Amino acid sequence: MSTETRLTLRTARARPDRIFRGLALGAGISVLAIMLLVGFFLAIRATDALGTAGWSFFTEQAWEPDAGRFGIAAIIFGTVLIAVVAIAVAVPLASACALYITQYAPQRVRSTLISLVDLMAAIPSIVFGLWGFFWLQGEVVPVARWISQNFGFIPFLTVEGADPSDPLAPTTVFTSSTFIAGLVVAMMITPIITSIMREVFDQAPVGEREGALALGATRWSMIRAVVLPFGRAGMIGGSMLGLGRALGETIAVYIIISPVFVMQPRILENGAISVSSLIALRYGEATEFGLSALMAAGLTLFLMTLVVNFAASLIVARSRSGVSS
Amino acid sequence: MTRRRRTSFISVLAAAVTFSIMVSTAASATPQEPAPPSTTLQPATTTYVPISGAGSSWSANAIDQWRRNVQQFGMRVNYASTGSSDGRNQFRSGTVDFASSEIPYGLTDGGVVDTPPSRKFSYMPIVAGGTSIMYNLTIGDQRITNLRLSGDTITRIFTGVITSWDHPAIKADNPGITLPARRIVPVVRSDGSGSTAQLTGWMASEHRSLWDAYCAKANRPLPCGQTSNFPVLSGSGFVGQPGSQGVAGYVSQRANVGTITYVEYSYALKAGYPVAKVLNQAGFYVEPTASNVAVSLLSARINTDTTSSAYLTQILTGVYRSTDPRVYPLSSYSYLIVPTAVEGNFTASKGETLGAFAYYFLCEGQRQAEALGYSPLPINLVEAGLAQVRRIPGVEAQTINISRCNNPTFSADGTNTLAQNAPQPAACDRRGETQCSSGTGGAAEQPTPTDNSGGTDGGAGADGGSGAGFDTGGESGLDGFGGDGTGSDSSGGGTKICEIDTGLCQTVASVPVEIERADSGWTRDTVMMLIAALALLATVFLPPMFARVIRGSRGVS
Amino acid sequence: MAIDTKPAMLPPSTVSSPPPIEVDVAPEEVGASEANRARGMRREVRRQLGGARLGDLFALVGAVTASLSTTWAVTTQIMPVTGSLGPFLIAFALFVAFYTLLLSFTEPTPIVRDRVASVVVHSLAIIVVLTLIFVVAFTIFRGLEALRFPNFFVQDMSLAGPLDPLSAGGIVHAIVGSLIQITIALVITIPLGILTALYLNEMPGRFASFVRTVVEAMSALPSIVAGLFIYATAILILGLEKSGFAAALAISVMMLPIMIRASDVVIRMVPSTLKEGAIGLGAGQWRTVWHVVLPTSRSGLATAIILATARGIGETSPVLLTSGFTAAMNLDPLRGPMVSLPLAVFQFVKSPEPTMIARGFGAAAVLMLLVLLLFAGARWLGGRTIEKQDRARHRRERALASVVAAIASIGRAVRHIGRRAVPVLRAAHVAGARVARAINGLWVVLSQRVRQALGYRSPEMPPTESIDPSTSLSLAAGEQT
Repeated sequence: MSTETRLTLRTARARPDRIFRGLALGAGISVLAIMLLVGFFLAIRATDALGTAGWSFFTEQAWEPDAGRFGIAAIIFGTVLIAVVAIAVAVPLASACALYITQYAPQRVRSTLISLVDLMAAIPSIVFGLWGFFWLQGEVVPVARWISQNFGFIPFLTVEGADPSDPLAPTTVFTSSTFIAGLVVAMMITPIITSIMREVFDQAPVGEREGALALGATRWSMIRAVVLPFGRAGMIGGSMLGLGRALGETIAVYIIISPVFVMQPRILENGAISVSSLIALRYGEATEFGLSALMAAGLTLFLMTLVVNFAASLIVARSRSGVSS
Repeated sequence: MTRRRRTSFISVLAAAVTFSIMVSTAASATPQEPAPPSTTLQPATTTYVPISGAGSSWSANAIDQWRRNVQQFGMRVNYASTGSSDGRNQFRSGTVDFASSEIPYGLTDGGVVDTPPSRKFSYMPIVAGGTSIMYNLTIGDQRITNLRLSGDTITRIFTGVITSWDHPAIKADNPGITLPARRIVPVVRSDGSGSTAQLTGWMASEHRSLWDAYCAKANRPLPCGQTSNFPVLSGSGFVGQPGSQGVAGYVSQRANVGTITYVEYSYALKAGYPVAKVLNQAGFYVEPTASNVAVSLLSARINTDTTSSAYLTQILTGVYRSTDPRVYPLSSYSYLIVPTAVEGNFTASKGETLGAFAYYFLCEGQRQAEALGYSPLPINLVEAGLAQVRRIPGVEAQTINISRCNNPTFSADGTNTLAQNAPQPAACDRRGETQCSSGTGGAAEQPTPTDNSGGTDGGAGADGGSGAGFDTGGESGLDGFGGDGTGSDSSGGGTKICEIDTGLCQTVASVPVEIERADSGWTRDTVMMLIAALALLATVFLPPMFARVIRGSRGVS
Repeated sequence: MAIDTKPAMLPPSTVSSPPPIEVDVAPEEVGASEANRARGMRREVRRQLGGARLGDLFALVGAVTASLSTTWAVTTQIMPVTGSLGPFLIAFALFVAFYTLLLSFTEPTPIVRDRVASVVVHSLAIIVVLTLIFVVAFTIFRGLEALRFPNFFVQDMSLAGPLDPLSAGGIVHAIVGSLIQITIALVITIPLGILTALYLNEMPGRFASFVRTVVEAMSALPSIVAGLFIYATAILILGLEKSGFAAALAISVMMLPIMIRASDVVIRMVPSTLKEGAIGLGAGQWRTVWHVVLPTSRSGLATAIILATARGIGETSPVLLTSGFTAAMNLDPLRGPMVSLPLAVFQFVKSPEPTMIARGFGAAAVLMLLVLLLFAGARWLGGRTIEKQDRARHRRERALASVVAAIASIGRAVRHIGRRAVPVLRAAHVAGARVARAINGLWVVLSQRVRQALGYRSPEMPPTESIDPSTSLSLAAGEQT
């Protein structure tokens, strides 16, 4: 369609067209306005706290905004730690699940499984939180105890205050930990990642797949030679999107953790924190300035998620599987 | 297949329709159901506008019960127990019609002044109670329910100085029982709370050096004073939980043995867990029962300067140091912060609801205080409170009448009958060689119920095992690894120990605790276990692998 | 996967198809294809390449037995571990090890690798699916205690105090609150979202792509921050009460990017030939959109909306900050707090009371049911194609015909009994057939109406095969082919 025709078209627009275009433009502008308002508002409200704290906002671990000592070092650290645990558990599970659905599952159960996994991606996170708090925690504690006893020499698996020689040692040091929160978030994001990976694996070219099989490849070597290289970008992208969800998860984490405001790398030990659970915990009692500090923390989280998401879509778009769609 | 899907969809649709019909009928049918208990308030002909409030979880159990009770008069009161700090904050920003708090505005916390709101307000006392020290401690299978603690010991526990239950200081408080060498896990509030303010205010006043030393470690400005946010040191083993429900819930998980927290007495009763008896200046260990709290608050200095902005707020130093043997040192009362002018979202019609609600709980509502784990307000505070009620805009002043006030503490001469009739503590509660064996809190025979409290009282008592419902389901798992059975065999040594559910846990005295694996660190046992495990795996795996290698080499050759 | 194995024309080593694929060649399978070749070029039979052999079964059973017994020995005798999770993990690791070992006796390395990978993939997938089902079942199971009481569905909590048993009080206020809030959110987001998606596709340009980028960025907004935004603006600055409306606003801010992205993908899928055809016939842009674009993408849009709804209805964090808390039914979204299902769950389980926790699980089960209903709706809409509908109609007609035949045969049977009744029966027979035909006609008409009302995919709609990785929702929306 050349420029001229478009010009003539525009001049000839009937009234309904003009109304429609006006409405659509209006909707676009108002959505843009809302979105920018959210962003700018966050940024503006955050500047108050950021200006007061300066660079120490990124290095300070305590969170006492009203006393002037606050920073997100510990909080971001905790958030990332929970997300990393979640991803470390969820990605292998999701990959296996997606591979099973696309490569192994009999045709009969495939569609059922797909529906099931997609449905699970829509299950509210609070349900996972309940499960984590009322069931998983009790089951994980002995495992955490066992790990810390036998692998305690690895720094992040040690637990302070857990004395293996003391039969009366409280099990509370193993509860409410980063590990448990991470596991719950992992179960929450597994269906999401599975869903994305399944899409990508499904698109692995049939010709190459059957070619490999025809050459006498075993199914696994076919997967390794065709499906995984083809879907690698999708796997990375999907995992990063899962990471984005894991970073922002609030309620499931809030229910489980016991907040601490120091960098606490010992994942099996009681005490964890994340940005969103901090906001949920402190928004009510925050003063004007405290709210500004929370906004700054929320903004940081938002920017982190943004980077992760954009990186993910970039990876997917650049990949072979992404281009072919 | 499509057909089946369609039919299933239709049935789902039908279910949804039925459901929505049920919902709509329910919506119209809900408000007028159960039979109201007797009351001085007449079912109102006026229609009340709903009001909403937020704040203290310390007084939430009482407010929640009152909220339920006034529903029958057509009053709708919404209350969110989000913590005192949140309540004061929300009241200041005008998002709620009233707030509930244990401490007034204007206190300095962490170097910052909690500024009073610009809207006009006043404090109104609502209910008294004791901040109790609730704990979860067992020896073998037996729960300890008669723990006694001095103020000094409590402070040292909550400042991380005493970390084990067999510390000599605790032993000195409890001559009758031998406590296990368990770690103490203090559970504190992770949100801004009035309970924390009560406890820290008391610690700052009575045990200042200990408290300041702890605050210094937590990098708080000194002198530390009263604070709503408990400072937590990393790696100290403290656990933070939001809300009174959170801390009480955490402690009452059966597996969390060794935990201790500070929470309103009501929560310990509901959870079915014991509370520590706290040593007072007279040398007695007392429990925060309604009558003890009533006695204690006789020593509270109430700001009676009607012109002061802090009118009716409490100064509790007198309670901490009272020499009456019945005094529970951590007693206090909770306020409602009510608006006294029509501003923002607050209207006169809302004031009418708030006034009627306040009149209800200051008079009739106080009758349930004891059963709920609180203590009813004495007449002077009720009178002052009613005076505040009259200041709320929109209140029908003629209905506010103290002569019709049905409060259990009132007597003809104006003294507090509850305090007058409060029993003296038993001799075994005196500091010394003896220790009472009767249980406390939710794990005890309840104090003799007053006439209006039979039902709820029994409910609280029968709740003895309710901790089980909150259990994470892993009790067998959590106990594990050598912790079981220690000392339980020796408990048969002549002492009779009853079940916790009956509330009659008697004489848990002298239960020696044997620690089987006392050597610490990477023990020989651990190494042996690992070697054994590896040996087993080797036994299983090596022969076939060996066979395979041999066969493989044969195959090659 | 069963594929036809054609005789290999070239030895594998000489194949150099781009990209070069390095494969482990299993000797036995090469042998199999040779055997196939030996059979000559007679009728090709689809061969099952997979399938289990007795040896595999033995290896599997043996590995399971060995792992279970070793786990027992390790966890109870040597390194005591309590709970169920620890032993399970150990047993799984041991099982894989034993299986590898057993296979390595009989199979060459590539086969061993394949089998082990297959076992690992199978078991991890089973673990995932079972865990997810367990999460749901656990919630429902714990909730049953409260769900047993009918009052749970028809009462609110205003008359249930802290000490009341489960036979008093319910969650109808939360159900209604959830529905009101999501309705308001939908009223805001559906027009705005779909119009914006139309704008992005119908009026492309630099500004549109900027809007698209911003919307994409905003889908990264953590839901709690959306709540915080509404709390700080609408409630603290504008002085709105904590109310259902404020909560709906927060949900809208959260849902809007999701909905726009999902609708954008769906509308982008409308083939340009259709639009060009409409314009070629002289339709204006509006008529093209109204008569071609929207009808074509209707079911996709419906799916997008429903899935965004499912997401919005289940989020706790934005409502936590904005809706306030109440125990009573509140039908007025503008005044006073209004509680929704996820928030009610959250508040219930914070309490240490077992009855409150049971109510929390019950409310969570109801919430899941609601999401399930929405999801089923989305599936149903997304799964409808012309062929399927045709097949369904044929089946229905056949069923009706058999019913008619049954009536007729009954009639015949009765005729044997007494000839007197014949006229009556014949009339009944005729009437029955007529009724059956009428019902069928009515059904066809009705279903068409319903389909029109709900929207279904027209035959021109090509199979959507987009990957839109940004959200699971748009993904799910995209795969409804």
